[in-house]
Amino acid sequence: MAVPVIMPKQGQTVESCVITKWHKNKGDTVKIGDILFSYETDKAAFDEEAKAEGILLEVYYDVGDDVPVLSTVCIIGQEGEDISDIVSQVEEEPETGIQDVTANKIEKMEMTQETDTVKAASPVRSDEIKISPRARNLADKAGVDYRFAIPTGPQGRIIERDIRLLMDTGPVVTPSAKAEYQKLDNRETALGTGIGGRITTSDVEDMSSPGMRSEPVEQDIQAEFMETDYEEIKLSNIRKVIAQTMQESLANSAQLTIHTSLDATEILEFRRKIKEQGAHLGLENITITDIILYAVSRTLLNHKALNAHILDDSMLLFNHVHLGVAVDTERGLMVPTIYSADTKSLSEISREAKELIEACRKGSINPDYLKGGTFTVTNLGTLGVESFTPILNPPQTGILGVNTIVQRVRQIDGQLTAYPAMGLSLTFDHRAVDGAPAARFLQELKTSLENFSIFLSK
Amino acid sequence: MIFDLIVIGGGPAGYIGAERAGQAGFNTLLIEKNSLGGVCLNEGCIPSKTLLNSAKIFDYARYGEKYGVTAQKVELDHNAVIKRKNKVVKVLVSGIRAQLKRSNVNVVEGYARIDGKSSDGYIVMVNDETYTAKRLLIATGSAPVIPSIPGVTEGLEAGYVLTNREILDISEIPRSLVVVGGGIIGLEMASYFNSAGSKVTIIEMLDHIAGNTDRDISNILLKNYQKKGVEFRLNSKVVEIKNGAVVYESAGKLEEIEADKVLMSIGRRPVVQNIGLENIGVEVENGAIKTDERGKTNVPEVYAAGDVNGKSMLAHTAYREAEVCVNNMLGRRDIMRYNAVPSVIYTNPEVACVGETEETAREKGIDFEVVKLPMRYSGRYVAENEGGDGICKLLINKKYRNLIGVHMIGNYSSEIIYGACIMIETEMRIRDIKELVFPHPTVSEIIREGIFQYKDLL
Repeated sequence: MAVPVIMPKQGQTVESCVITKWHKNKGDTVKIGDILFSYETDKAAFDEEAKAEGILLEVYYDVGDDVPVLSTVCIIGQEGEDISDIVSQVEEEPETGIQDVTANKIEKMEMTQETDTVKAASPVRSDEIKISPRARNLADKAGVDYRFAIPTGPQGRIIERDIRLLMDTGPVVTPSAKAEYQKLDNRETALGTGIGGRITTSDVEDMSSPGMRSEPVEQDIQAEFMETDYEEIKLSNIRKVIAQTMQESLANSAQLTIHTSLDATEILEFRRKIKEQGAHLGLENITITDIILYAVSRTLLNHKALNAHILDDSMLLFNHVHLGVAVDTERGLMVPTIYSADTKSLSEISREAKELIEACRKGSINPDYLKGGTFTVTNLGTLGVESFTPILNPPQTGILGVNTIVQRVRQIDGQLTAYPAMGLSLTFDHRAVDGAPAARFLQELKTSLENFSIFLSK
Repeated sequence: MIFDLIVIGGGPAGYIGAERAGQAGFNTLLIEKNSLGGVCLNEGCIPSKTLLNSAKIFDYARYGEKYGVTAQKVELDHNAVIKRKNKVVKVLVSGIRAQLKRSNVNVVEGYARIDGKSSDGYIVMVNDETYTAKRLLIATGSAPVIPSIPGVTEGLEAGYVLTNREILDISEIPRSLVVVGGGIIGLEMASYFNSAGSKVTIIEMLDHIAGNTDRDISNILLKNYQKKGVEFRLNSKVVEIKNGAVVYESAGKLEEIEADKVLMSIGRRPVVQNIGLENIGVEVENGAIKTDERGKTNVPEVYAAGDVNGKSMLAHTAYREAEVCVNNMLGRRDIMRYNAVPSVIYTNPEVACVGETEETAREKGIDFEVVKLPMRYSGRYVAENEGGDGICKLLINKKYRNLIGVHMIGNYSSEIIYGACIMIETEMRIRDIKELVFPHPTVSEIIREGIFQYKDLL
């Protein structure tokens, strides 16, 4: 009995995944547990194992295809088996909810029409888009970028008429430019230079190599460059997302970094104690980072402008601290979130942080954990960094960089004594917070950490 | 009264610009020193087409035997041809006058000179009267280049050296005509006078005729005209014009040929002198008004369109440039694109081209493929062109698999080429063009034939 293999739904908000590799080809024999294909969301990568034995009878998507979750990716069955039933089911992809549109929503669409040029400036990320297959087909045919559509279907779904409106207002891509355009990550919203404002192949070339339009490089320099030995690697989805987020952060905020250092004697002592004596309580794995996460989660709520999201003309001040923790993985930077960290104990924070970091490194993180942060902590101290300028994770307003511990000398009662000093680097968005309040947060954090046992018993 | 717009020049750029502005509600003034319609209508495109049509009918009648038709005592009455030409021009000029009136455009006849700028706008003097407008559209067109070859000035005065203006009004067919310059104008006039009975010689400095036209096509055209008795002196430079003869230098040797009349058609230069550009500081570069892709000059609200910007020097380019200017005046975003501007030579056979040539594509580093096929692939062509040797050449960009150039020689090309313009302008891919239905039997099907010759892998 043939079975369809569907694209798993990785988390509540993931709408589609990109196939990155096929490990089996059509016609191959498949055993249970064989890896069929690898796929990724824009944040994590996964392998899909075969859950049935047989022959890979049909494959519906290629490498690079963005597959809606729960769609049939391939079919496993027996040689010569009649799979026409399944095939016809696959072809009748569900088309939901065009019917139940209320008059109210039509009115809303008319309202939004006036503002569509403003809206068009902010494409929605494709993994967050809900679009009916019919609308997606139409968008594909007409060469419009459906990410710019204003959804008027049920539950914010893009339906056919939204695409029709978009065909009028653009951006529309010429047939030739479409394939390359879809590969672009930073699709510009500026109108194209083609007929009727269409985006042409030369626009796409300009978008993919900004600055390359300038005068040709002198001949001999170019020749030298050509000889340079290099390896060209394609950017992974995750890399592209990091690049886009970082660049947007720097381009769209007024961020700056302030630095301080604190006497780490007490937290080092605390850590030594729990390492030695905390084993029977399961506390021996609490790290300096965990201690800082804990202190941050408790201090932030006194400085709500730093536990916030800044939007165009408003700010969201959060009543709980959803703490992002920057994790270095093979695939690149990932930032899982410890939700409501302010309600969790030091040991709970420590355990959860470890689980999340582990999941990120394995690539098995549920994408739902990779969002919703209200503040981020990033630690390069473990790599010996003494000071740095972290980049905000928009729309957050603050990110704390944790630096290494160095021995410093200070004068007490005329005596020079050495003490372990730890650096903290706070980047904040000056649009949201002024320098003094940001410094006050850092000062309070420093005091808390320097007197950690008192702070802990609060 | 202060006008919204003063248009200087009533040629294709001027009258279309004025019409569009008037239709949009601008209070518009058009100033023309000579006759509405400019060179195109009075001494260019239109009159030459009436002459060439008479020549074509004459040739069909004389050489109809290969189609089973013979006629006796066929004559070309040059005076009747000129008379008809004048009637055609008159009808079209009055058509333009009526159209301008319908568009509420004020027309003043006289020589316009920009005088300066006041707080109300730009001041233009015509016939000692002052007019002021918030905006200017400079559309003064171009004039034939008169080289400083000994004898030219005297010849122009005496009437045996002619430009495109005078040659359209000569009352007798010259026994011998030497055409200096084998570009579009030269070839078209050579075509008429050859049919009409002159002994025509074309002297061209380059090693090929028809300027930037595809080399295969210009060679076919050359051979067709040689067959008809036109003589060509390529790689030759005129050094002196005498009354009755032209002296030219070829391969280091001086030669002399008999010439009752000499047509100077070595090119055209923009009219930028004596119109007061310096009074408002309009930038002139290489003898042409410098404009951006919106038709704007360096002076605010001063636009230029048509031959005067030195870019394409074709009437249809001028139309579109003027419309781009007016759209920008009206605040509508519009830019001029030159990549799909067609060019046509109304010889017999006709030549029509659009887009990249092999040379320009190579210069731009485009990875392209050429499909070249004889016009005889079209049934209609075979039926109507006994012994025809026309070709059609398609240039295909291999990266985007779209059409980037079409070059054809064969009658009806002039009417077919706009279809190719659309394909190029909208960046249709080969696979898109394959879905088009062409009317059968027409010569236009040659494009479809060519498209299917291309081995498109998709």
